[in-house]
Amino acid sequence: MVAGVMAAGAALAAGLYRFTDLFVKHYPATPYDDVLAALVDRAQATKLGAKVPDGLEPQALAARLRASLKPDGLAAAAQSDVAAGRVIEVDGWVVPESVALLSALAAKA
Amino acid sequence: MTGFIDARSLPAATVLEPDLAIIGGGPAGISLALALAGAKLNILLLESGGMNFDSKTQKMYSGAEAGVRYTALDAGRLRFLGGSSNHWGGYCRPLDEADFAVRDWVPHSGWPITRKALEPYFQKAQALCEAGPWIYDKGNEAQEGPLLPLGKGGLYTSWFQFSKTRDSVLPTYFGHRYEQDLKAARNITPYVNANVTAIRLNKDAKSVERLEMATLAGGRFTVKPRMVVLAAGAMENARLLLASNDVMPAGVGNQNDLVGRFFADHPIPRDVATLVVFGGALAPCYGSTVTLPNGAVMRAAFSPTGEFLKAKNVAGSLTTVENAIELDETGTAAVITTAIALGVDASVAKCYSLGCGMELAPDPDRRLTLTGEKDALGLPRLKLDMHIADSDFALYRQTLAELGRQLLASKTGMLRLNYSRREQWLAAMDWGNHHMGTTRMSEDPKQGVVNADGLVHGIGNLYVAGSSLFPTYGSSNPTLNLIALTLRLGDHLKKVMA
Repeated sequence: MVAGVMAAGAALAAGLYRFTDLFVKHYPATPYDDVLAALVDRAQATKLGAKVPDGLEPQALAARLRASLKPDGLAAAAQSDVAAGRVIEVDGWVVPESVALLSALAAKA
Repeated sequence: MTGFIDARSLPAATVLEPDLAIIGGGPAGISLALALAGAKLNILLLESGGMNFDSKTQKMYSGAEAGVRYTALDAGRLRFLGGSSNHWGGYCRPLDEADFAVRDWVPHSGWPITRKALEPYFQKAQALCEAGPWIYDKGNEAQEGPLLPLGKGGLYTSWFQFSKTRDSVLPTYFGHRYEQDLKAARNITPYVNANVTAIRLNKDAKSVERLEMATLAGGRFTVKPRMVVLAAGAMENARLLLASNDVMPAGVGNQNDLVGRFFADHPIPRDVATLVVFGGALAPCYGSTVTLPNGAVMRAAFSPTGEFLKAKNVAGSLTTVENAIELDETGTAAVITTAIALGVDASVAKCYSLGCGMELAPDPDRRLTLTGEKDALGLPRLKLDMHIADSDFALYRQTLAELGRQLLASKTGMLRLNYSRREQWLAAMDWGNHHMGTTRMSEDPKQGVVNADGLVHGIGNLYVAGSSLFPTYGSSNPTLNLIALTLRLGDHLKKVMA
């Protein structure tokens, strides 16, 4: 009985959690969530990231991004990329390297 | 006032003996004649066509083509008074200083003169083009409304000016516009329906002895001038020189096999890139012409700086904003993700397709040769071997990528490069019909057909005028520049013929 109530409660909680996906998308936990937290709109980044030419593995990507985002966050990293000429073409779009890599990680995660 | 003479009315075996014969009544020929109006020179202006389009005359331009798809040889130019100005779009822009320089990374590049040599003639050329006051790169100060800021880098906002074009006003068609001026000049006799069929040299091959003339009505006559200026357009200039091969077997001025080589045009591929402006609004001067209170008609374009050309070894280009378009799913994702990362609101972003005019690298194998087929007057027709190198596209792509980077740097927008493969570029290809390069200038006869004054190497009394002289092409439309170069020739002729 107790187990049944707990199971029903868990199912309800899970349902409510998924219901809130309508407002805030939830993603399964990954080892890179600390990096992916820099993305405000992870769904859009995932779409963009799917077009990033395949190259680095997620772990390597995450390590590289941790280094570049650590000091001042994504905005500063992106601006620094642009100033230094570190731009990448993603499906033809010229984007800052850190944005492209972060999007690629989102797509792989 | 002498008025126009229809060559078909000349008695058979007529021999005309002017001081100067100008072959071709297009922008170069007319500008030269007007520059010499009032000089103590008896001048004939010899125009193949009449006052208006005639299909039989136009047909003499048809020829063969090989290589990259290109405008038919009888479609990209016009053979009647005013020449190809009769289908001119009116775009004017002076060549940049860098266009004249030798570029180490571009074989065969460089003019034998600098931009400074043309500067005294630009204002007069501008007036002949009826393009209003000289503004060009001071356009930024003259515009109302915000210009798109670009971050520091290789491109800047540059400007076209236009020959009158606004609403229903057409550009300056030189034949119609200057018909009365030509009639009014006492020392100029313009002939229409007067086709040069051969440039005959003296036996020593050092000077022109006579021009053989014909009309489509069957008339034949002769012109024996002291001096000749060939101003028939870059295709026809080469054709006449190559076909006049009785004394010099390879053709007049072709002792080094250069006549007809280095043909060039400006590729104008469509929809080369997608521009997103985060703030949405874009000043009207980008997508269309705007008329300033002083009458200047202007349009903005993105141009690489001379420093960028040198640093990145790229070629000239002018990138323009064309139409408003919609983004696809990936584009939307790119804009949202990038704008958020930059801390910019892109909720009202708008996007536009970009077009361009590209500079080709000089290529000796992009050339005009004669075929066995002949036109109605017995002149061999031309064949064009048209080439465009993968590197021409690749270099322009680098310029576009830099524009994209500068937009990100200013946080005002971003760019998509739409083409990465040769077949994509070629599928979008159109041409400016800016024929250039076939009688290129060089002080070295082994590198050019004419010298810095336009005099054919080895021939003492034969000059060439027009954009066939351009050894490197830049990305500016040629009309204004070829007129300035021709006006410079006018001053030179005044001195040497005095």
